[in-house]
Amino acid sequence: MKVKRWITVCALAAAMAMNAGAEKKGNIVMDGSTTVGPIAKAFAEYYMGKYPGVNISVSESGSGNGAKSIINGTADIGNMSCAMKDSELEAAKSKGVKVMEHIVAMDGIAIVVHPGNPVAALTVEQLRKIYTGEIGNWSQLGGPNKPVVVISRDTNSGTYETFETLVMHSERMTDKTEYVGSNGAIRQRVMTTDGAIGYVGLAFTHGLKVVDIDGVTPTPESVLDKSYPIGRPLYMYTNGEPAEGTVLAEFLGLYKTSDGKKIIEEQGFIPMP
Amino acid sequence: MSSRSTRRILDRAFTGLGGFSTLLLAAALLVILVPILIKGFGAFVFRETVEHRRMLLDLYETGDRAAVETEVAAAAKAREPVYAMLGAFKKEVEALPAPERRKLKSDCKDLEKALNSLLGPAPGTTQPILLRQRYGQNRWDRAQVAIGKVLYEEAYDYSDSSQMGKKILVPRVERFRGTSLEPLFDYVRDQSKAMLLPRWIFYGGFLTHTSRDAHFFGGIRAEVLGTFYLTLGAMLFAVPMGVIAAIYLVEYARDNWLNSLIRSCVSTLAGVPSIVFGLFGLAFFINTIHVSGSKSVLAGSLTLGLLILPTLIRASEEALRAVPHTYKQAALSLGASPWKSITTVILPAALPGILTGIVISMGRAAGETAPIIFTAAVSVGQPLTLLKTLTQPTPALSWNIYNLCTEHEAVDEIRHVQYGMVFTLVLLVLLLNLSAIVIRARLSRKLRV
Repeated sequence: MKVKRWITVCALAAAMAMNAGAEKKGNIVMDGSTTVGPIAKAFAEYYMGKYPGVNISVSESGSGNGAKSIINGTADIGNMSCAMKDSELEAAKSKGVKVMEHIVAMDGIAIVVHPGNPVAALTVEQLRKIYTGEIGNWSQLGGPNKPVVVISRDTNSGTYETFETLVMHSERMTDKTEYVGSNGAIRQRVMTTDGAIGYVGLAFTHGLKVVDIDGVTPTPESVLDKSYPIGRPLYMYTNGEPAEGTVLAEFLGLYKTSDGKKIIEEQGFIPMP
Repeated sequence: MSSRSTRRILDRAFTGLGGFSTLLLAAALLVILVPILIKGFGAFVFRETVEHRRMLLDLYETGDRAAVETEVAAAAKAREPVYAMLGAFKKEVEALPAPERRKLKSDCKDLEKALNSLLGPAPGTTQPILLRQRYGQNRWDRAQVAIGKVLYEEAYDYSDSSQMGKKILVPRVERFRGTSLEPLFDYVRDQSKAMLLPRWIFYGGFLTHTSRDAHFFGGIRAEVLGTFYLTLGAMLFAVPMGVIAAIYLVEYARDNWLNSLIRSCVSTLAGVPSIVFGLFGLAFFINTIHVSGSKSVLAGSLTLGLLILPTLIRASEEALRAVPHTYKQAALSLGASPWKSITTVILPAALPGILTGIVISMGRAAGETAPIIFTAAVSVGQPLTLLKTLTQPTPALSWNIYNLCTEHEAVDEIRHVQYGMVFTLVLLVLLLNLSAIVIRARLSRKLRV
């Protein structure tokens, strides 16, 4: 009788201990790119749905802030839509931060115009001329007689960095450029302005017309085989590799799992093969 | 004579101008407030579909399980013909020659996408990975938009290349003429109510439910709680400091250059743009003295506290100065110490004014966005427990309104949440201001007696 009771007690204790093991707890703070935002938010939703004891917070304030928060140690994960610059890496080094880079997905920068705009294809050359101000009217591109309204991301943005490198080749953008703070803001500005042109991550093209660049439409295939000229990886940065078995490590590893890849795909991005 | 008539004209002109600007102000207030209240009301009172009831039961365990299950079954029955037609069509297509088959198949895929967005995933298919795709349209107003997308395709007519293309709606049924799918469109149009069972409700959960999948479902609990913590924290920090500083400035400070410098500093601080406080908060509280490892409610509260401190000091100072000198003199002549006279005579007399200042700056703290961008606010996060406010960042109403209307990837689908947040915040600030008026009225009545 006594033995039996002991066994029950032990079994109960073991069950409780196992339960405690399954009940993960912890906090993860993410900051950075608005492009990576949809992935980060969906990952957070997925992970918190699985482990309600974990609190993951996501801010979307631009890649520049992602880098800064990793350098200053104010976030666990810094989301970035461009690789860290040398100056940022040096700043991290001087603060003793060991920057670890994780490429979570691929993304093409889609060039978007108002859906009523008949122009359907541009070359990188034409795109650069639009952004330097050399081409100022859609009629020069076979479109209607409408001035081009040039919309760009602010300089804190990783999408801006990539665009600057791959399209502008560091040429100056026209003074008429409107700089806005997020992908969503570009999307809304272009959606409501007839002559507008802008560039966004692939998850933000809903309701806009995506223009072919050099004859190529941005699709998962064309971005992966690099035939689409303006593609870039999306990153999550951490300070050092998170220790195996921690909540952070498991959360960060989501992009490698099949569920994670599905999330990335459904949000419009391209999972790493 | 002429000078009198000029004066009269001037006088009338001034009265007219004053009346006009008051009217303009009232009109502006009306134009701003009415849409906010009406649209925001829509977050709480709307026609919910059966998908909303299913979602509430699944994610928040609210609702009568048996009743919801019966309704889901009834809706599923009404949807059956849709999926039967789709199944039959897919079989029919296989028999067609390749080019036609490919075209119809891709058309069918577009149609299925539109249907999934309206009704949720088709029965028998695998569960979508994103929560937002697991349910059909939650609200009848959104469902009607989705029905439109099933029935019509949006296209642009670019025939006149000298103009912007014109938006045209092409009935989707044209693509399926002569196939077994043709009756589906009439069915969806006529039976939409049977498939979604819309019903008016008051959704009080909008305030108490935590949002799921980046505000697609549920309410704004985390945001409301975040705003509450931030405001409360700011008050805890600013009220004692502000009142004590005001007492010092009014009662103790001598009239020398240092104190007048302090006074003008306080006035200047009151005029500093809030974003400067935000950047200061980031640089000082987070990056220099590390009150927390990341952004946190604590850092945000301290920053907000700093922001409202000058206003609070000024308001308390004014209130203390308004207490008649005779009160103090009478207290002192009765042998009370200066401290005693302040705490028992002057402070109670100044209390209505001080409280008004407190409540008004509380409203300001609740509504400010810029100071918390870098110090406390995040776009997605769980509601915090009190202890976690020391280390964790939080969503907050003011910031998340901005976030939803600019950064969110699917703003158009969740406008009602944004309106609901604006509604809640405006109401909160209005209530705070109203309570300031009430407190003031009550206290001054009490003091007069």
